[in-house]
Amino acid sequence: MKRSGVSSKRSFAQEVVVADSWIIETAALRKTYDGVEALRGLDLQVPSGSIYGFLGRNGAGKTTTLKILLGIAHATAGDARVFGLDASAPRSSEEIRRRIGFVSEEKDLYRFMTVEDMVRFTARFFPRWRSDLEQRYLRKFELPRDRRIRALSRGMRTKLALLLALCRGAELLMLDEPTSGLDPAIAEEVLQALIGHVANEEMTIFFSSHQIAEVDQIADRTAIVDLGRVVLDGALDDLREDFRRIRMVFEGDAPSGDLRAPGIARVQRKGRVLTVLSRGDTNPILDEARALDALSIDVSPVTLKEIFLETVGGEE
Amino acid sequence: MLWYKSWLETRWRFLIGLALLFCSAAASVAMYPEVVKLLPLVPQDVGGEIGRKIREAAELSRSYRGYIWTNWFRQNLLQMATLFAILLGTAGVLSQSGGALFTLSLPVSRHRILGTRAATGLAELFALAFLPTLLIPLLSPAVGESYSVAQALVHSVCLFIAASMFFMLALLLSTIFSDPWSPLLIALAVAFGLAFLDFVFRLETFSVYRAMSGETWFRNGRLPWEALLTSAALASAFYAGAVRNLARRDF
Repeated sequence: MKRSGVSSKRSFAQEVVVADSWIIETAALRKTYDGVEALRGLDLQVPSGSIYGFLGRNGAGKTTTLKILLGIAHATAGDARVFGLDASAPRSSEEIRRRIGFVSEEKDLYRFMTVEDMVRFTARFFPRWRSDLEQRYLRKFELPRDRRIRALSRGMRTKLALLLALCRGAELLMLDEPTSGLDPAIAEEVLQALIGHVANEEMTIFFSSHQIAEVDQIADRTAIVDLGRVVLDGALDDLREDFRRIRMVFEGDAPSGDLRAPGIARVQRKGRVLTVLSRGDTNPILDEARALDALSIDVSPVTLKEIFLETVGGEE
Repeated sequence: MLWYKSWLETRWRFLIGLALLFCSAAASVAMYPEVVKLLPLVPQDVGGEIGRKIREAAELSRSYRGYIWTNWFRQNLLQMATLFAILLGTAGVLSQSGGALFTLSLPVSRHRILGTRAATGLAELFALAFLPTLLIPLLSPAVGESYSVAQALVHSVCLFIAASMFFMLALLLSTIFSDPWSPLLIALAVAFGLAFLDFVFRLETFSVYRAMSGETWFRNGRLPWEALLTSAALASAFYAGAVRNLARRDF
């Protein structure tokens, strides 16, 4: 995928070129903690160059997946590869971490170090450390160099964690709930910093989130994970194109029988109105609606939130 | 840079230990003239093991070398070195000071993380075993006595090797438990348990505490090889266990 001089996620999507490789690939990945299955055969492919939102409810298996990819946790079964390297082998895991910038959900850094110490410490592990970016982000985020990490607010800690990830010269950024616990203004600042960064750097971002708006705002591709499995994935624009809401109004109460047309994801009845969430070709559903003598038929696009709620079985 | 991080994580425990041991060593030397004056007042009629220990300590204190051994090497240094070996060993491999996930996301192996942490702790333990003890030959002329540097070094070597067993035990436990208190309490319980066994059964050859104090060296000029080798072997086994444990652990 190639991208240049973009300033928003919309233009990222437009500039998508077919990915030539998977930067992250998992197959039948399983993880069990004390008898509890956190991952139940997770299959995931993240194309190189994408901004990939890993969307799911709390406890869906997002953090576990990230930890396995980084070698921080061990898979019970299945295969996990990053840059084509086996994430479970200690030596290749080290190589993977050399090429990744990671921000954990807790943004847990060394509380006893100052901002300056933390930056110097991290820089020593990464030969491709970007001093130019370090100076830029220290200024941009207004991080006080001599303040101890324990004295930083959560927002400041998030910004520092992001700086430490962005300056590594990484090919892949892995972010676990990057804006969790932040107020909307700082969350927006963090997201804008990410968007600004990838506009100028050739890299892939893989971030987990349970906030649909966040994925909608910056991702060009997404996977929705639920109960340890990927239940839906693809380019966001394709998903939006694929799903439609069809609203039918009848003269009397909406018919109570099941609709037989293929592609019906969900049906909701309310008095004279029958609302169908469809996936794929809408024509068979429209034909059936006409056959049922619907007074009016209205087809409209759906939001990512509706798609998410449908796929994870939530209530609208 | 992992060295630097390990140092920052453990420095307060180390520096507090060093300061306390320096004070204790200086006090041991400074109090000798007073101890000599009080020797005639030691009761001779206290029975049992405790009475025997008191009489033995009083008898040993009649010579300066005996006083330093019983007061410093067998008591103050031994107890505090055991405590600080455990405190240094439990100073969070990947848990207490925060940043465990950050450390694990760096391009270094867990073996290297643990190795650096162990080496830093052992270096600090080495300093705790040697530096305060070297203060004794230095200060002894102030009370009109002298103490051999060579004697001090031999006792420090014994103390360091035997105490490293407690350090490695604490390190192993800190790779098993993620909270800071369990490793500390278990290691302290083991230390008390060994002291109790030593007191009740009067362990000789394989007593870790007798090895730490260099008792056989003090009494008959023989190094406690059996206990030192056993301590070193146990320390190595604990370290190997810690490496294996950390490699398998999920965070």
